[in-house]
Amino acid sequence: MLKLFEHETLDVNNLADQDTAINVQSLDLWFGQKQVLHDISMRIPKNRITSLIGQSGCGKSTLISAFNRLNDLYSGCRFGGSIIIDGRDINHPKENVSRLRTQVGMVFQRPNPFPMSIYDNVSYGLRLQGIRVRRQLDDAVEQALKDAALWDEVKDRLFEPAHILSGGQQQRLVIARALALKPDILLLDEPTSALDPLTTLFIEELMAGLKKRCTIVIVTHNMQQAARVSDYTAFLHQGQLIEYADSDTLFTMPDKKQTEDYITGRYG
Amino acid sequence: MRQVAINTHISGKFNIELENLRNSVLTMGGEVEQQLINTLKAIKQNNAGLAEKVILNDLKVNSMEIQIDEECLRIIAKRHPTASDLRLIMTISKTITDIERMGDEIERIARLVTKNKLPPSETIISSMLVIGERVAAMMRGTFDAFARQNEAEALEMYDKDNQIDSEYKKLLSFTTTEMERTKEDMQDWLEVLWALRSLERIGDRCKNVCEYVVYLTHGKDMRHTPLESMQQKLEQLS
Repeated sequence: MLKLFEHETLDVNNLADQDTAINVQSLDLWFGQKQVLHDISMRIPKNRITSLIGQSGCGKSTLISAFNRLNDLYSGCRFGGSIIIDGRDINHPKENVSRLRTQVGMVFQRPNPFPMSIYDNVSYGLRLQGIRVRRQLDDAVEQALKDAALWDEVKDRLFEPAHILSGGQQQRLVIARALALKPDILLLDEPTSALDPLTTLFIEELMAGLKKRCTIVIVTHNMQQAARVSDYTAFLHQGQLIEYADSDTLFTMPDKKQTEDYITGRYG
Repeated sequence: MRQVAINTHISGKFNIELENLRNSVLTMGGEVEQQLINTLKAIKQNNAGLAEKVILNDLKVNSMEIQIDEECLRIIAKRHPTASDLRLIMTISKTITDIERMGDEIERIARLVTKNKLPPSETIISSMLVIGERVAAMMRGTFDAFARQNEAEALEMYDKDNQIDSEYKKLLSFTTTEMERTKEDMQDWLEVLWALRSLERIGDRCKNVCEYVVYLTHGKDMRHTPLESMQQKLEQLS
């Protein structure tokens, strides 16, 4: 029979190792006495966009932060289970956290450019890595700004302070800063919630282009955004992973009633 | 004329999805148009094999309707279309229902050949073929109007249904007279009447699609509106 539409759907629950960017295995996480994540197991596919959705406090930001060990910064954080990235458990005591954060970049809700020039913002991570050769830095900055769809807007004012940029430009600058380190995985924690709808769409389109070169995991409160941009979506509730499926299925025929109630606004 | 610009969204993927959706309707329309042409050929040649092929091929048309409907549902759930995008998707969803029904009507006509129930009158067969050709032309024009989002073309096709209706009535009257002459084959004649009715109904379905084209381009629901009032309303809108 003639097939009119082609939509790729990987079975995320049975993903092969070579297709998996992040393999979360029975992850439990506590802040002090409070358990925030309960036995989360999921495989996040490579070179795809995966959204984490759920009510405030459901643990989605904690989960995404666990992927580059940002939770280490909080005292009293304990965890069980494992997170496998690139064949190694990132929670292993011998894990090189600086290298991990190069490999797994993160962008936050509010654009946070450093108080320095546009050029220095993008080259900051590279300099920390010890790269000093000007030409090498120039090329990397140009490429990162092009990848973040910002180059044309800033190429003539690279040495002006970053804070003069608009909110949307600042967020793309921060993305460029992360991209300069050529991460395998880019974590975006509500990257557009402080931006206007049109700028949001530009950032989403940027994400769609970026997934060719890296895996993207995005936390969003905006279900419409999750539906629009992500290939796969995970719904979390009170620290538990309720449902994880391709976005087409999750937003048209969710398997679990809790998911249905949440995405249709019946959540009580 | 206000065309819905499909390729101007910030999201390139959304552009592709809408373009594919629109093209799929044209593919489905083309398939049904070919089904009608094959049926007319089967009648002309009294070719039961070709008619059987038409009947089997209707499954393909049914499958297309389901696939396009699912895609509409997927796009609504994932893209939350508004304004002209929403009208396009609603138009497509309704259009494919009518195209699928056209396919069913064609299947019924083809069964006349496979059941060997063609009327024993050459006059009726040739009149059927003449109406069939007109319906095929109307169908082609309707799908062209949909593809180009051209309401002038849609109105032109809409008007053609009157001619088809009038020819259908004449043929119906002639067929009834023939029926009275050979009352013993009443069951066979009923099959012929149903087939003629189906042919006329395809014209009505095309008319529905023309109304959807006007809705798509102008956002005005013109269903159940006579042609003259429709033209007046469109002139006011332009």
